Amino acid sequence: MKKTSKRKSGTFLGITFALPAVIYMLIFIGYPMIQNILLAFKNVDVYTFSKPDQQQFIGLQNYIELFTGQNSILSKSIVNTLIFTIGSIFFQFIIGFALALLFNKKFRGASFFRGAAMISWLLPVTVAGLLFKFMFASTGGIVNQFLSQLHLIDQNVNWLLEPGPAMVASIVANIWIGIPFNMMLLTTGLTTIPEEIYESCSLDGANWFQKLFQITIPMIKPAIMSVLTLGFVYTFKVFDLVWVMTKGGPVNATELVSTYAYRLSFEEFQFSKGAAAANILFLILLVVGCFYIKLINDEEEVM
Amino acid sequence: MKSKKNSVGLFFVGLLIFLIFMFPLYWMIVTALKTQTEIFEIPTPLWPRDLTLEPFQEQLSASGDTLRGFKNSLIIALGATAISTVLSIPASYGLARFRFKVKKPLILFFLITQMLPSTLVLTSLYIMFSRLHLLNTYMAPILADATLGIPFSIIILRTYFISIPKELDEAAKIDGCSHLQSFVKVMLPIARPGIIVAAVFSFVYAWGDLIYGITFITDPTMRPITSSIYNYVQQYQTLWNSTMAFGIVAIMPVVLIFIFMQKYIVSGLTNGAVKA
Repeated sequence: MKKTSKRKSGTFLGITFALPAVIYMLIFIGYPMIQNILLAFKNVDVYTFSKPDQQQFIGLQNYIELFTGQNSILSKSIVNTLIFTIGSIFFQFIIGFALALLFNKKFRGASFFRGAAMISWLLPVTVAGLLFKFMFASTGGIVNQFLSQLHLIDQNVNWLLEPGPAMVASIVANIWIGIPFNMMLLTTGLTTIPEEIYESCSLDGANWFQKLFQITIPMIKPAIMSVLTLGFVYTFKVFDLVWVMTKGGPVNATELVSTYAYRLSFEEFQFSKGAAAANILFLILLVVGCFYIKLINDEEEVM
Repeated sequence: MKSKKNSVGLFFVGLLIFLIFMFPLYWMIVTALKTQTEIFEIPTPLWPRDLTLEPFQEQLSASGDTLRGFKNSLIIALGATAISTVLSIPASYGLARFRFKVKKPLILFFLITQMLPSTLVLTSLYIMFSRLHLLNTYMAPILADATLGIPFSIIILRTYFISIPKELDEAAKIDGCSHLQSFVKVMLPIARPGIIVAAVFSFVYAWGDLIYGITFITDPTMRPITSSIYNYVQQYQTLWNSTMAFGIVAIMPVVLIFIFMQKYIVSGLTNGAVKA
């Protein structure tokens, strides 16, 4: 009897404490999200925006036009986003992991170097994007200067003006921003491995590679999985970096789903179509997000 | 003997990586101190020969967008931080201390909101704010930016409250404190480091926002600094020394936070993202 009343008061207090934040998020995230789903089924654009009586439900037409319309670049933007995401994560993860292993060794300055690298993750992405835009500039850009001094190119590459190079430049900038995130999370994973395991393996004559693949990676598998899935989610929705560096160009070569949704809504004022594109972005993230949530659920049964 | 030699070698490898990684920031500072002619020299010098402070003077002059943008960003980011912190502290306490049925779904709810792309809610928020006549006011980006900080703050603070021994709560209750009193008088002071981490992250998120700023505020005098530097570059395409000086002003608060609160930030990032 007493137990149930205690549980009841726990429910009441817990919910009361959490309620203001929950309501806030429902108003400013939950409600707009539902509105966005509805908006995608309507015909709201620059003409009907201020005339609610002319706004109608038009079913799946926005989605159909996005996928099959002649001017639609949705499919291209999905492919671009995948290239951008996988390219970024692949290098961020490998470099981040290598640095985590390096700075996990005990030597003078290790924790300082590791800590200082965090700065790239904290900078406003807008500024980082402009900085890389400048470094990749065709004339006066330091990237071209270094490459030609190393005799890797004979004439300046128009990094941001040609499709392939523009994607490479955006990915490089995003890698720089994302390395600390990978490095820090993997470092946390590494600190959970007891030193004795390595010692006993050294006695057995295991070399560095064997230790890496037979001890380190299996032991920090949970950290690796969450870095990869979180990294995917965060990279897949990147907007500002690409908007600042290339604005999706040249010729849509770096148009991501997020920048396309923004362009449809706020440059072409096709609000409903932009909403539909954003919903597609959400759907893809949802699948990956569910995977992540299952991951931490399995891990943390004691909540 | 061998390990000492090894350690010196590692130090130099570490130093080299550090220098390469920091190069973009070095380049930003150097460019801000160069003249335009020097920037477009071939090859451009790796350090400024004619050191000039003109770009900075220009950016910091009263007539420029820079200081105004800085002020706008400060108002917006502090406002968003206040909302986010005030709402996150009780929520994380509730989700850490009490056992109840919907707790797990609520934690998942905050986790999911952290992963949502801003573009998903942007159009609807725009319509909502336009109906409420909030476009071109500080309130619009403040309200939207707070949603970036809340989930992260709750996740960090929850792990923090969980780590505080329950006995402290109970001791306070035996002394006759109510739940609210023990929360305010006992828990909050102990949780201060966690609260600082949460506030710092909320501030950094809000300071770095571009998408809400450019969408909800079109009045040039009201723009946050990320939006004004973005617009500045559209106008003065290749004026790189001034742009970089502008950028340095824009990253200053974040850099200062980073220098003075690095420990908090590292613990926040790892707690917030791994443990959830």
